[in-house]
Amino acid sequence: MKRLCIKIVGASGTGLLSTGDILTRALASLGFNLVSDREFPSLIKGGHSVYTLNVSEDSIYSLSRQADIIVALDKEGMEVYKDHLKDGGILLHAYERFGGIKDLIEEFQSRNVNVISVPGRKTLQEIGANHLMVNVLLIAMLWKVLDYDYEYVEAAIKEKFSSKPKLLEIDLIVLKKGWDLADKKLDFSKPKKPSARRFINGNRAITLGAIHAGCRAYYAYPMSPSSSILTYMAELASKTGMLVKQAEDEITAAQLTIGSMYMGARAMTATSGGGFDLMTESLSLVGMIEVPFVCVIAQRPGPATGLPTWTGQGDFHLAKYAGHGEYARLVIGVSNAQDAFDLIQHAFNYAELYQIPVIVLTDKQIAESLWTIEDFQEKAIPIERGLVSGEGLVSSDRYKITNNGVSKRWIPGDGPAYYFANGDEHLEDGSLTEDAEPAKAMIAKRIRKKESLLQAIEEPVIYGEEIADISFLGWGSSLNVMLDVIADFAERGVKVNYLHYRYLFPLKKGKLNNFFTKNKSVHLIEGNYTGQFGQDIEACGHEFAGKLLKWNGRAFFIEDVIEYIDQNLNKNL
Amino acid sequence: MNLPLLNNLSIYEERVRSLQTNNVLTWCSGCGNYGILNAVTHAMALENIGVEDAILCFDVGCNGNASHNIQAYTIHGLHGRVLSLAAGIKIADPTKTIIAFGGDGATFSEGVNHFVHSVRNNFPIVFIFHNNENYGLTTGQPSATTPCGAKMNAAPDGVSTQPINPLQFALSLNPSFVARTYSGNAQHMTATIQKGMQHKGFAFIEVLQACPTYNKETPDEWYAAHVKDIVEHPNYDNRDIWDARRIVEDLNDTFYIGVLYQNTDLPDFLSVQLSREGKLRLVDEVEHVSINNFY
Repeated sequence: MKRLCIKIVGASGTGLLSTGDILTRALASLGFNLVSDREFPSLIKGGHSVYTLNVSEDSIYSLSRQADIIVALDKEGMEVYKDHLKDGGILLHAYERFGGIKDLIEEFQSRNVNVISVPGRKTLQEIGANHLMVNVLLIAMLWKVLDYDYEYVEAAIKEKFSSKPKLLEIDLIVLKKGWDLADKKLDFSKPKKPSARRFINGNRAITLGAIHAGCRAYYAYPMSPSSSILTYMAELASKTGMLVKQAEDEITAAQLTIGSMYMGARAMTATSGGGFDLMTESLSLVGMIEVPFVCVIAQRPGPATGLPTWTGQGDFHLAKYAGHGEYARLVIGVSNAQDAFDLIQHAFNYAELYQIPVIVLTDKQIAESLWTIEDFQEKAIPIERGLVSGEGLVSSDRYKITNNGVSKRWIPGDGPAYYFANGDEHLEDGSLTEDAEPAKAMIAKRIRKKESLLQAIEEPVIYGEEIADISFLGWGSSLNVMLDVIADFAERGVKVNYLHYRYLFPLKKGKLNNFFTKNKSVHLIEGNYTGQFGQDIEACGHEFAGKLLKWNGRAFFIEDVIEYIDQNLNKNL
Repeated sequence: MNLPLLNNLSIYEERVRSLQTNNVLTWCSGCGNYGILNAVTHAMALENIGVEDAILCFDVGCNGNASHNIQAYTIHGLHGRVLSLAAGIKIADPTKTIIAFGGDGATFSEGVNHFVHSVRNNFPIVFIFHNNENYGLTTGQPSATTPCGAKMNAAPDGVSTQPINPLQFALSLNPSFVARTYSGNAQHMTATIQKGMQHKGFAFIEVLQACPTYNKETPDEWYAAHVKDIVEHPNYDNRDIWDARRIVEDLNDTFYIGVLYQNTDLPDFLSVQLSREGKLRLVDEVEHVSINNFY
């Protein structure tokens, strides 16, 4: 798989985000498949940030650590990210006090880096532009270095600044200037037939999936990296007619969601690990009163505030074990934009059909990375409510002890068969009881839903061939890197396969046993220290040949897995 | 009271009976909760609110144990959280009357944030605040409304902190409806709850509640001797928040009861949701929504 990796580096607030945004638009309009993401510290201005873009004519899902091209918006960016540039790569910068970067440039040159520079301030001054427009200058130079058609980058600039005509006018002058100042330096062929591609991030995809599934209320308290779902929902509310409310805390967000779901609406909330901690008592209430509940946890590394703007998979155990008492639940792991759109719809269906909490795990990388996508297919996933009409029912139908644990659910007020949604242990109509036998039966009924749910959910999926030279098992965003790795190694003649779990708990075991029987070297890939999900696999009696774990807040780069395979491939054969 | 109904007592009695259950009431003898539950039942009957028209939401505490003592759709949630739960219910179905019940522990300790924001949001729900000045169900620990110096379970030397004045607190939040009544007067309670049900917005009703087991200082008889109906106060304008704030300051001699403050101009939460204009029940809208224009 041929991929081009571009990194834009600099302090937050130097135009890094708009640079990334313009290049994403321009490259997507050429018809490239694309992944992009921004790594940044938890502050509004300053600190080192990097915007990474990976493009390919083939399908591409993950990011590379090593860049073919680095565009440095400031000196600090150059210094901090110098090791991210491949030997022989290209460095573009507009820093003009060459004395101050003499050693740095020499170091680059010793690594055969092609350093392309322009005196930024001076050049911009000459054409009457503001020094802050250095990013546009560099965008133009990059575009020329790649030798892609000018009209595409011009269109992206026009789209970006369409609401600011005066600024746009000068930006276009700067763009032309930058274009004239550079030459073609890299041959990375663009798609033969340019067709503008749509791109979207995971949080937007979750938002659209929920809206499509008939979610009518969204309640949340801001917490990175889930916050943009609230922004998107609120911005779209005038069109969707949804009720979107920022709550005073996560407990409130959960309670509002429960209240609306109890009344038969579809509602949801999203947060990150710390906010979900606050929701855990509410989760337990849902387990007891059997009200559907959908919550997205956009993971970031903890404990405590941890690394607020970084990524990880450290909250599987939180999702699996949260809340006191024993009750059935479903934990789903999302991987990318398409996955997010699909799985949030399934989350609503399972929550309603089984009257359980469904926790959907994403992470910062999924929430904020942009992927090019085909338009989402509408109505591909039916809406399944599991609701019945209250007419002709009796109160004790509501929590009737059934074989599969699921009883009839009707909207409160729909008919005379009132019931008590009682957080205390209760009888079939919800009347409080503390008697041993009814309590025993009711607790068992609620937990039995786990077994019927297990029959309904999908088995994990094998990517790559059934039998491979080296195998991986994982969940969530690990899928993205594994898809690219499988394709890369296939070109080298090495078979890599990957068993990917979307439904994490309860655990499907059918394919699992077969996968371990057929593949002799199965490795865990997981974005945490303790291999949380892997522990559930080990509890089934399976042994991993090795574990590729990462917990430094950074996503799995393709190099992480390639290096791991290179080290482990022959060892296990 | 509603005269046509009183002329037809059999219908009225039938409505009250249809709300009563056979489930055993588990409160102490002499507990204020009996009267409050009864008043709620009568207020519902008088307002013609039947089983399909209301959702009753209970916090955890002595009052919450009534959640199965009324033939209605009820929900009995977590300690301190009843107001947010009730708000989520009302948002989903604005056609229902939502009555929430919570005690002084729930409202002014565990869930004080929900109270603050429920008042601010002016969620159109009736909130019956059971104030018996202690944690009854956990055997008499002090709450945020227990008087300073009172010797309580877990405070053998007397409570060392100053109590919150619930009505003063509520009035500081620019509420739309603040009322007070007490558990010894069935008629006043019923009438006050009815007024709360008729109010369009967050109706905060403090019920001064007798707790014969853990609060022996202020039984219903004590309240009866200390309360005065606000309608008897000369020149009192319950549309004036400063009148209200002055009247609730004075806690030593006379407790004024009745609707102490009402602002009918304050829009309720649902009426200012622009995205929801002209819409009612969320459940009626659950269907595939095209996202074609939302990318």
